[in-house]
Amino acid sequence: MRICILTWEFPPRIVGGIARHCEGLARALAHMGHEVHVFTLDFPGTPDYEEIDGVKVYRTVTELGHPNFLTWTLLFNHFLEKRLGRVSQQVKFDILHIHDWLTAPAGISFKYCVKKPMILTVHSTETGRAQGIHGPDSFAIDGVEWWATYEASKIIVTSGSMKGELCGHFHLPSDKIKIIPNAIDLTKYQMSVDPQSVRQRYGVGSNEKLVLCVGRLVPQKGIEHLIHAVPAIVWRHPEAKFVIVGEGWLKGHLEYLARSSGHGWKIRFTGFLPDLEVIALMTSADVLVIPSIYEPFGIVALEGMAAGVPVVASQVGGLAEVVEHDRTGILVYSRNPESIAWGVDRVLSAPDHSRWLTENARETIQKVYSWEGIAKKTIEVYKEVE
Amino acid sequence: MSREVPEEFRLLCMLHNIGAIKSERSLSIQEICEWTAMETSSVEFHLQKLVELGYVQPTGAEGAGRYHLTPNGIRKVLTLYS
Repeated sequence: MRICILTWEFPPRIVGGIARHCEGLARALAHMGHEVHVFTLDFPGTPDYEEIDGVKVYRTVTELGHPNFLTWTLLFNHFLEKRLGRVSQQVKFDILHIHDWLTAPAGISFKYCVKKPMILTVHSTETGRAQGIHGPDSFAIDGVEWWATYEASKIIVTSGSMKGELCGHFHLPSDKIKIIPNAIDLTKYQMSVDPQSVRQRYGVGSNEKLVLCVGRLVPQKGIEHLIHAVPAIVWRHPEAKFVIVGEGWLKGHLEYLARSSGHGWKIRFTGFLPDLEVIALMTSADVLVIPSIYEPFGIVALEGMAAGVPVVASQVGGLAEVVEHDRTGILVYSRNPESIAWGVDRVLSAPDHSRWLTENARETIQKVYSWEGIAKKTIEVYKEVE
Repeated sequence: MSREVPEEFRLLCMLHNIGAIKSERSLSIQEICEWTAMETSSVEFHLQKLVELGYVQPTGAEGAGRYHLTPNGIRKVLTLYS
């Protein structure tokens, strides 16, 4: 099949899980012999066009700008559409696959232009991200999300919880939505890592415990609840040190909370780190905490499970489906520092049990979350609407 | 410390949306003021902070400086929208 994927994020333009999802899916589809074209936005230092592992990647420059976010979104969709139009004179696409609302305007227009079915993957919703609709921009984004679900021939979501959210919020028929989970490339986790030197880079000694958290520094990730849990964790494990990886607009507030906790010197914010460094950190950590309050899937849980670190995650959304409590990780109550502290203690106090959890987790990852399997399921959806 | 989006981050987002994401599309302070309808002193104050944080990079000679986002600045903005 000739597959056209539209996404506003594609490596190295990595924000959240969408970039990694699109990269993994595109590579797997190309590996199966399909012709995969990815249309995305430019990023400093990347070429306008390149082929990566058989995937054709078109990075489009938004030649006009505007300070208003929604106007900017319309502008980049316009330039994406122009690029799609030019390429479609040479390539006859069989299917169009868009990811989230951001590329929906270009995708919907292009669908009518080439008269081919459009698939939409919903990675999250505005109501979920913002925990409600809080203003005109939020209302507009919610409207575009509804429009995209209406225009799509089929919708893919990565978890049952996301399916429930879409059916409830947009009143969609259940059979229009297919659940296909995220996946992970296990080969990336087979690299050789010297845990002691990695820990040293972040100021964690060999006798100390490294409590790691990886995520965007935004409210939905719930990192403030982990910081509130720090005193209780340190009380039980004085040797614990905390490394928080990620960027986001809430960084200043979280740094303030860390300083106010009385344990600021034990909490380190690294900012954005490249993938390989994140893997090295996960491989070297004693526990990975995912304190999210909203998580449609939670690919970071898979990453931790693949890296062999015990995972302590909030029992919300997709996380509650990815992590099986006390078998592949520990689930804790969301927005509850005491529960997070309990989960971390459960892992740090019982090394043998933690090892058993990580062994089960890795086995599950190998069985369920391979890109090859996810690509096959995606092709089945494409064939249903072709 | 507020949980509101900080003022300098709003400016960073506007610079991103205007298109100042590489040196050849960098903007002068006057251009930034025109686009954003912000006071010069306010723009200068926030830009200084954004440069210190590594989210914005100045180019050009002293006094005639132009500004654009660094890759980390772009990633920072995108966290608001994703």
